[in-house]
Amino acid sequence: MTKEENNGAAEELQIQSKKALKKQQKEAEKAAKKADKQAKLAAEQQTTSEEDFAKDRYGQPAMVQSQQKPDRVLVRIQDLTPEKADQLVWVRARIHTSRAKGKQCFLVLRHQQFNVQALVAVGDRASKQMVKFAANINKESIVDVEGVVRKVDQKIESCTQQDVELHIEKIFVISLAEPRLPLQLEDAVRPEGAGDEEGRATVNQDTRLDNRVIDLRTTTSQAVFRLQSGICHLFRDTLIKKGFVEIQTPKIISAASEGGANVFTVSYFKTSAYLAQSPQLYKQMCICADFEKVFCIGPVFRAEDSNTHRHLTEFVGLDIEMAFNYHYHEVVDQIADTMVQIFKGLRDNFKTEIETVNKQYPSEPFKFLEPTLRLEYKEGVAMLREAGIEMGDEEDLSTPNEKLLGRLVKEKYDTDFYILDKYPLAVRPFYTMPDPSNAKYSNSYDMFMRGEEILSGAQRIHDPDLLTERAIHHNIDLEKIKAYIDSFRYGAPPHAGGGIGLERVTMLYLGLHNVRQTSMFPRDPKRLTP
Amino acid sequence: MPMYQDAEADPAVKALEARQDEIMRRLYELKAAVEGLSKTITTPDADIDVAHLSEVVNSKPLAGTADLDILLGKNYGALRDIVINANPSHPPLSLLVLHCLLRERFHVLSTVHVHSSVSNVPPHLLACFEEQDKNQSRHDFQLGFTLIWKDVPTPQMKFSIQNMCPIEGEGNIARFLFALLGQQQDPITATLVDSWIDMAIFQLAQGSSKEKAAVLRTINAALGRSPWLVGAHRSLADIVTCCVVLQAAGPVAIPANVQKWMKSCENLPEFNGVYKLLQ
Repeated sequence: MTKEENNGAAEELQIQSKKALKKQQKEAEKAAKKADKQAKLAAEQQTTSEEDFAKDRYGQPAMVQSQQKPDRVLVRIQDLTPEKADQLVWVRARIHTSRAKGKQCFLVLRHQQFNVQALVAVGDRASKQMVKFAANINKESIVDVEGVVRKVDQKIESCTQQDVELHIEKIFVISLAEPRLPLQLEDAVRPEGAGDEEGRATVNQDTRLDNRVIDLRTTTSQAVFRLQSGICHLFRDTLIKKGFVEIQTPKIISAASEGGANVFTVSYFKTSAYLAQSPQLYKQMCICADFEKVFCIGPVFRAEDSNTHRHLTEFVGLDIEMAFNYHYHEVVDQIADTMVQIFKGLRDNFKTEIETVNKQYPSEPFKFLEPTLRLEYKEGVAMLREAGIEMGDEEDLSTPNEKLLGRLVKEKYDTDFYILDKYPLAVRPFYTMPDPSNAKYSNSYDMFMRGEEILSGAQRIHDPDLLTERAIHHNIDLEKIKAYIDSFRYGAPPHAGGGIGLERVTMLYLGLHNVRQTSMFPRDPKRLTP
Repeated sequence: MPMYQDAEADPAVKALEARQDEIMRRLYELKAAVEGLSKTITTPDADIDVAHLSEVVNSKPLAGTADLDILLGKNYGALRDIVINANPSHPPLSLLVLHCLLRERFHVLSTVHVHSSVSNVPPHLLACFEEQDKNQSRHDFQLGFTLIWKDVPTPQMKFSIQNMCPIEGEGNIARFLFALLGQQQDPITATLVDSWIDMAIFQLAQGSSKEKAAVLRTINAALGRSPWLVGAHRSLADIVTCCVVLQAAGPVAIPANVQKWMKSCENLPEFNGVYKLLQ
């Protein structure tokens, strides 16, 4: 039946251009070949189907359109342990790999990051045709399998469920995958460098991202995004325990919050609007509206045309803003403690995920101190100077210097996470509170993971007059930020805060090298799909 | 090429040339110095400068004029932070005593951290330093003392990572911290103190019960002759040895002189913190 269809399609070809014609011809040939093969296969099956005693035990049932509600318990693959030995269970999983060998066929069934070896062998339960059918199911197809869990003598090293295998009695294809995959999952999880030695393929970043849905099925991706979800959860959990309120802020805004250069403009009916660079203004307004401690998890947009390993144009921001009593270190300590709680939670609850990622991307375990190490900017500059870097007192840290300082701090204190406090006022935004004892410095801070900045924060100016003064100093059009300044006129408590990039935290915690690995569907200046 | 001619006459170019000559000259000097050094290394004992040695012997104790710039070299305009990694299962008591002494002499910023390699550090170890004035910023202090509870086999000190390798061992760190107090000793006393420290750290702390008993007898004999282990005053030998006895003696009976001496140590203000920690 497929043969006819394909031939029909080939006839309908329209001549568009030489190239397209050639391509189509080739494709048609390919399709014809494929159809031939399938027809042959079908014919083979037909000829032998009469003697098949097990024909009810396999096949491709009708599409699941919610016709039935069978009383069937589908056991998860991770639960297939020696305790379940000799039980008959149903499992839904993907065909990870299949290997036919004469009268038996070995399958590796996968569900999320877990897999188990399964076996169909010719016997009183399975016929020759059934084994053949099982061996011919395309990779990545989803199957329902009934089988007996059996203990194995020798551990199966290639699977996560090493102590058992599944002896298949029934196998049905629920969703058939196309025979050709744009990338092979084994290639996608191969550690970098290992492919070169054995002459096997690895998949490059762009191919991965172009076929993100398949790439996300790899054990590594599964682990990365489970861990990322853990970060969000731990962030929320910790802050709510500390008495914070979660807020939702608009992302379509009328004025740019941090300088107008790197914002996306969107048309908004008869006028234009911007996509929010940070929920900064709204967090601060909530503070002025007596919410005291707020946080917000949501998308943040940056229209920077920088194609680096750590910049995205849309990412998830974890933002904190908090009113304090007398010293902004009250806030710094709270934020740092939140981060430490996240690291501890990941260390204790996501061991498997961290190990899985480490298999493909080896990195040292993330180290931190409690309470978090807090250095002052001056000290950082002194450490850099001691290492032979020449830089001015009020110069901003360049990215290489930032990384070098991270290495120096790691060497001395053995921590991958630290705070750099008291930045020079000149390199911070206009709303940053100046240091009372030295006007050249400010009450601002950055937090670093593995030598890369993940959080930038400060005590904000809550006094409208000083805010105006600083805005004028920065040549900012007062008319544009009038609403912002006005919100502090009716009594504003002293407050400070900061914002973290979720993708960056995941990337740096796991020691990955590209932020796109920790963004599910990354957006950068060159990528808008998938 | 007018531009090129302009450049020819430009004083900036001349200055640049002069700078290059100067750099070349300094490079030659450096080369000569390195060659000289490599010679002394390959000649046995050539690196001992006898003239310098006798000078040290004759110099008067420098007590009271300890200047951190002299002791520790160039200041880069920020806090000099001493980092000590110690295992919470075996707190280095002598270093805590020395910390008290440092605080008497300098304006010290002391902090305690817990490294991610250990969990469940007892609360009294987290609060082993007295409360400090929180209003001061870090650069107001002369010295930083950062104690990190970490999973390390022996205590470890990291100070100037550019010039010093990490220093391993409680005894060696104690010697370094004590030297910061600026009390200079003649070679005989210094060697005696060193040998007491070695005996305490290696034989008393890590030895068998037989060895421990032997060391305690030696200490007892020495304390029969003078109130302190070395000379008429409390020295580093007393601090380290007493702390080790407190921690390691265990079931071994403590002789009379040693008991008396420990009592006198307990009465010293710098031991306050340690005894509080042990309770």
